Amino acid sequence: MEWVDIIVLGCSFTILLAVGVPVAFSIGISTVLTMLLSIKTGPALTTVAQRIATGLDSFTLLAIPFFILAGQLMNRGGIAHRLIEFAKALLGGLPGGLAHVNVLAAMLFAAISGSAVATASAVGSIMGPRMEEEGYERSFGAAVNITAATTGLIIPPSNILIVFSLASGGVSITALFLAGYLPGILVGLSLMLVAGVLAVRKRYPVAARTGWREISKRFLAALPSLLMLVVVMGGIVSGVFTATEAAAVAVLYALVLALAYREITPRDLPQILLSTSATTAIVLLLVGTSIAMSWILAYESIPQNVSLALIGLTENKILILLIINLVLLTVGVFMDITPAVLIFTPIFLPIAVQLGVDPTHFGIIMVLNLCIGLCTPPVGTVLFVGVGVAQTSITRVMRPLLPLYVAMIVALMIVTYFPGLSLWLPRLFGAQ
Amino acid sequence: MLGTAKVVDRALGWVLAALMGVAVVNVLWQVFTRFVLADPSSFTDELARYLLIWIGLLGASYAAGRQMHLAIDLLPTKLTGFPRFYLGVLIEACIFLFALSVLVIGGIHLVVLTLMLGQTSAALHVPLGYVYLALPLSGLLMMFYSVGAVVTHRVALREWEARIERAGETR
Repeated sequence: MEWVDIIVLGCSFTILLAVGVPVAFSIGISTVLTMLLSIKTGPALTTVAQRIATGLDSFTLLAIPFFILAGQLMNRGGIAHRLIEFAKALLGGLPGGLAHVNVLAAMLFAAISGSAVATASAVGSIMGPRMEEEGYERSFGAAVNITAATTGLIIPPSNILIVFSLASGGVSITALFLAGYLPGILVGLSLMLVAGVLAVRKRYPVAARTGWREISKRFLAALPSLLMLVVVMGGIVSGVFTATEAAAVAVLYALVLALAYREITPRDLPQILLSTSATTAIVLLLVGTSIAMSWILAYESIPQNVSLALIGLTENKILILLIINLVLLTVGVFMDITPAVLIFTPIFLPIAVQLGVDPTHFGIIMVLNLCIGLCTPPVGTVLFVGVGVAQTSITRVMRPLLPLYVAMIVALMIVTYFPGLSLWLPRLFGAQ
Repeated sequence: MLGTAKVVDRALGWVLAALMGVAVVNVLWQVFTRFVLADPSSFTDELARYLLIWIGLLGASYAAGRQMHLAIDLLPTKLTGFPRFYLGVLIEACIFLFALSVLVIGGIHLVVLTLMLGQTSAALHVPLGYVYLALPLSGLLMMFYSVGAVVTHRVALREWEARIERAGETR
């Protein structure tokens, strides 16, 4: 490990990020600069180019655009609308009802889509105006929606868990997906608890309870959307489909539903396909350049050194997990979740494994942790989308967000220190 | 310049939409041949991977043209006038140089190398060099778009100057 190399890598990356060079390019440029210190120009450039291309050469990664595409098709309102009506029939009558409805709807949407951004925009654009109509503050509704949307990345299917599987060098996607359910539900419940208390304190109105008849009617309306969960996750868990195949089937299913609900016409398809390609490419360029960067990190044996340093500091598993969590929380504030997972998995996963943490469990800790950063400025994609659909501002939404951050951090601690919560389902289904 | 950008945008947009459409149909075909025909197709896995490389790289240049790539824009949004212009040019120069050196030069090198070694893919028997052509192509498009972005920054700067001038006159 050459100190010069590490300083060049760290400084160039930080400066490029700070002046506003897009993250993917910052990663790529700092990687090239570091390589040039020890490798000749020609081979260095070719190596980075090759890492980018071969990094994308993966059948598994193709699941990501498909889940994004399915999400875009579901985003058009028909599916989100029916899920929200069902959630409302179930929870609308509780104190703080609409806040619970928002969280549950986000969780249900999360269970059929793989993205937090899709969840935030689909559920938020419908729930926002409704909550306001019933007297909820706009910023409060937006804050609940933003944090609840992160369950989109924890509850399977989840694009970021696919990225983690790739970065970890082959932790089973099926195991990761199954492991996400209970922690995702825990996050949802924690958010409901805090949002409920806040709503009661602010004396937001409580709607009348819904009868069983109405609930079953709403359930039947939402059933075709919910069946998607059975097709996708059932297919993956039973081993009938790979994640990519399940995602392609989800696209077909969502397309049929969206056409049937008359949310889209075939003429909208080229635009939807293009926007999927562009959104995917943003993730893929990050994947490509991050893979080049992890290669140079490994070349400099940085992961080994970080792990030696950490273990030299303390051998206490609880403490090391706490340190890793604190580092990741800080990283998450400044970095988007995809590059963070790609860069820090090779560094932290070996330490965790050495301490006896199950890799599947570690994936969930990491993703849940970085989800909190998605709701914080300056870099928080879910925050931006949530604030955007609610037409409020980041400054206004910060206050109601604070107690919800606390709820997420508490959930993170529970997930970190109770591995069974993550590992029970994968073990039950023998996916480990 | 900006007129050409529109034409390139449209063409690239159609290519990207088509690639994504083919990718979906391709994997559905894989599922169909396995379950319904019970005769798994031999090429779908490989085609899917190569399509993803092309979607990723061409899409990345399209996203660059639309300024869609994630960035920490605290500094750019705080600045106006000349500092904003110079920072914008600096950012585009970084993108331009990365695209030129890694994607175009490194990419062409990789293409030539794999073509010379005569590597072909296992199922489709395509020379791998053609698959990697996505690298230089994407690089060229990115360079084109970053020049376009500088032109846009210049227009914004001119508008800013005109505004300042008008404000000076009214005072």
